[in-house]
Amino acid sequence: MESLLQHLERFSELLAVSRTTHVSPWDPATVRRALQWARYLRHVHSRFGRHVRIRTALERRLQKRWRQEGTSGSFPVPGLTNFQALGRCDLLLSLRLLENRALGDAAYHYLLQQLFPGPGVPDADEETLQGSLVRLARRRSAVHMLRFTGYGENSVLEDSVLKTQAELLLQRLREVPKAEGEGPSRFLSALWDRLPQNNFLKVIAAALLLPPSSPRPQGEELELGTPKTPGQGGQELVRWLLAKSDVMAAFCHNLPVGLLTSVAGRHPELSRAYLGLLTDWGRHLRYDLEKGTWVGAESQHASWEELYGRFQSLCQAPPPLKDEVLTALESCKAQDGDFQVPGLSIWTDLLLALGRGS
Amino acid sequence: MCAHCFLQCLAGPFSKMAQDSVGFSSDYQFWMQKLSVWDQASTLETQQDTCLHLPRFQEFLRQVYEVLKEMDSNTIIERFPTIGQLLAKTCWNPFILAFDESQKILIWCLCCLINKEPQNSEESKLNSWTRGLLSHILSAFRFDTKEVGLFTQGLGFAPADYCPGLLKNMVLSLVSELRENHLNGFNTQRRMVPEKIRFLSRVCIPLVTLPDIEPLVEALLIYHGHEPQEVLWPEFFDAVNEAFLLKKISLPISAVVCLWLRHLPSLEKATLHLFDKLISSQRNFLRRIECFLKDSLLPEAACHPAIFRIVDEMFRYALLETDGAPEVLAAIQVFTRCFVEALEKKNKQLKFTFKTYFPYASPSLVMMLLQHPKEIPQELWHQPLKHISEMLREMVEDQTHGSYGGPFECWFLFVHFGGWADIAAEQLVMSEAEPPEALLWLLAFSYSPRDRSLQRAQTMTEVKAVLGHLKKLFRSPTLSAKDLQAAAAESQARDPRPPLCQKLIRRLILNFLLWAPGGHVIAREVITLMAPTDELTHEMTGLLDQTLYRWDHLCMEAPKSRKLARELLEELCLAGTAC
Repeated sequence: MESLLQHLERFSELLAVSRTTHVSPWDPATVRRALQWARYLRHVHSRFGRHVRIRTALERRLQKRWRQEGTSGSFPVPGLTNFQALGRCDLLLSLRLLENRALGDAAYHYLLQQLFPGPGVPDADEETLQGSLVRLARRRSAVHMLRFTGYGENSVLEDSVLKTQAELLLQRLREVPKAEGEGPSRFLSALWDRLPQNNFLKVIAAALLLPPSSPRPQGEELELGTPKTPGQGGQELVRWLLAKSDVMAAFCHNLPVGLLTSVAGRHPELSRAYLGLLTDWGRHLRYDLEKGTWVGAESQHASWEELYGRFQSLCQAPPPLKDEVLTALESCKAQDGDFQVPGLSIWTDLLLALGRGS
Repeated sequence: MCAHCFLQCLAGPFSKMAQDSVGFSSDYQFWMQKLSVWDQASTLETQQDTCLHLPRFQEFLRQVYEVLKEMDSNTIIERFPTIGQLLAKTCWNPFILAFDESQKILIWCLCCLINKEPQNSEESKLNSWTRGLLSHILSAFRFDTKEVGLFTQGLGFAPADYCPGLLKNMVLSLVSELRENHLNGFNTQRRMVPEKIRFLSRVCIPLVTLPDIEPLVEALLIYHGHEPQEVLWPEFFDAVNEAFLLKKISLPISAVVCLWLRHLPSLEKATLHLFDKLISSQRNFLRRIECFLKDSLLPEAACHPAIFRIVDEMFRYALLETDGAPEVLAAIQVFTRCFVEALEKKNKQLKFTFKTYFPYASPSLVMMLLQHPKEIPQELWHQPLKHISEMLREMVEDQTHGSYGGPFECWFLFVHFGGWADIAAEQLVMSEAEPPEALLWLLAFSYSPRDRSLQRAQTMTEVKAVLGHLKKLFRSPTLSAKDLQAAAAESQARDPRPPLCQKLIRRLILNFLLWAPGGHVIAREVITLMAPTDELTHEMTGLLDQTLYRWDHLCMEAPKSRKLARELLEELCLAGTAC
């Protein structure tokens, strides 16, 4: 058992190195050893897939490694994060080496010979490395070809890309070491700090809107990028959003109105927070007598149009949400003094504009 | 002509174009030109042309690999200075990369260019360039926006990790869009323009055998928009059909039916493909024929009358051209069985009356023929037989009304349900009573539909005479082969029996051997006498196979006869080249 774990450690290091210029001194023999190690781990994966004890031990070691990398300050770029990844470790290694320009010609030549032996080679196992690589190439060109079915509007691609990113995010969330309950939150915060935020927000929204899939039996192999239980990851996201007010504000401010309504419809806790934010925005607006409209005191405050747009969209949502919103607006109006005349309370004006003023 | 020759004739126009063996170098020039014209296949014309040539180009690539693998990198460049251009242009044509195994062969070719010990800067540059191309095929995947790339990298995922998932999501998105358009028509928010759908069908042509694309192919097949003319590319149907026949794609029956209904050549090809399997030079047992048939999905698809009519038409043609070859007859019979079975399974949603399947036949006759012998007690089998015979006789002998198509049409219909003739032949031998005229007529008709009344009457008399002899021998304790020979002997006085009549009598003798209590003793001897040639042995094997098949389906309990039949079949198969 211990030797297996050590093997795992060494391979993880190897995988990390395979991306760097440290491979330049490698000769064909080194490449051969590396591929052998990968093949061994893959064999471990297929043999011990159902063996709960060994599987758990391996996963724990991988997670520990990940945690270590995380605490050291540098952002984790994990190679192997879970047991499932072992099933493709040779593929991961091969691709990294193939892409690495630092790999010498002799080593590269040897690598190609190993990966692409040509026709008529009997398969030891049905799924050869050559087969996987070729299938990947074919799928890649399929994506490329389907990309251009937009004929100008690329909505198919955009939605699919967002959905895929969302699935990846949820997958990572599942894998984050949960020893300390902080794990997922810290991970998400780190992502927020490092990654382009606009895209991240869209991905979060997409993740929150993923359909909940039915739980699959243990041990079933899945392609990377398909979450087992997105519902679980979704909860983590919601929790994190609620805890980080700046993110929540950006979320509500930057994303398209319709999208926000859908998300609110799916997640009641978020709808409450969203409404809270909107009422807050509302309170910051003052009525400008000259212009005859509601304006924000400072530039960063939301404008009347933005506020109205959001409420309008919310009122077009299906029942529980719609009623909630109207109730909230009514109560705000009442708190303000229950004015019927425009210009005195923003809530009155909103309700009037929405056609619900009475 | 024989069944086999018939198939060869049919295969002509559908076979692959013969490879021009003008020489490798002229092929090379040809494809180089083509690739230059196609460029990145971004226009309709280039896409169309590329799709048409994909299989041939793949063959050429294989040839290229065979040539390149024998040489080292430097020799290759010497011999084929433009090889780099050829391979690069191939790389940049997404339709080629997406097709079947082309990307694999291309990778092999590129691997041949890699020099493991470059001696100078030229060779190094070549290596670097080749590595770039390999990267392009295998790993490079750039999103249009940088942010997405940063996101995936930030999470620690490489393109290899999310490419399958992305493809799945794209396919799902397109499928749901198609479905939405299909169901809601004009009410959808995102109306799919016909050009887009046509484009999708074009894009699917090289990808047809990629399992991830199956849902999209299915959705395209089932989708029908609101335009009057076909919106999908005809080559798309060809490609899907080809892949389906070679079992490289699996589609649900509903999609296959749509394919065949929308594209007649595909249905024809599928039927011919089936014929090829059924009517091969090797004898196929009926069980195996049944497997092939069910596998092909044709019987199930034939529940749709248009498909049934076309397949039936092809069977009719085959029957006419081969002059009633037994293999074709057997195929028709099993096909009809499978078809009826499939139809009954759908009985709850039975939409079409039988008239739509057999428009030229009398409905009452069809209903009679469709009866299941299994549902009638064996003692009463002579009743439906009699009715069928009378109905057919009336139609055939009634020259004035041509409404039911004449003798051939009647016979063709009857042949679909050939099991009845077999039952008649059995009943005649087994029953102790005087052979009913109706059954005699039925058998004579089924074996020799073209006979005139006089000939047929003669046949019936001959058969009756033989049956008479056989009945006397049926319970005889001292049965010998000679006795049987005498029973079947032709009378010297009359004209020699026509071959079809002889065939019928052989059949009755075989039935006799299977059913008579003393039959098993003399069976082998009699058969050797009766079937001295390969052709006749072939005939005997066919009859035995047919009989066993029928008994299985009727669940007939006849352990002794069954055993004998099985043994005889085995022996004949081992002995002769008939199997």
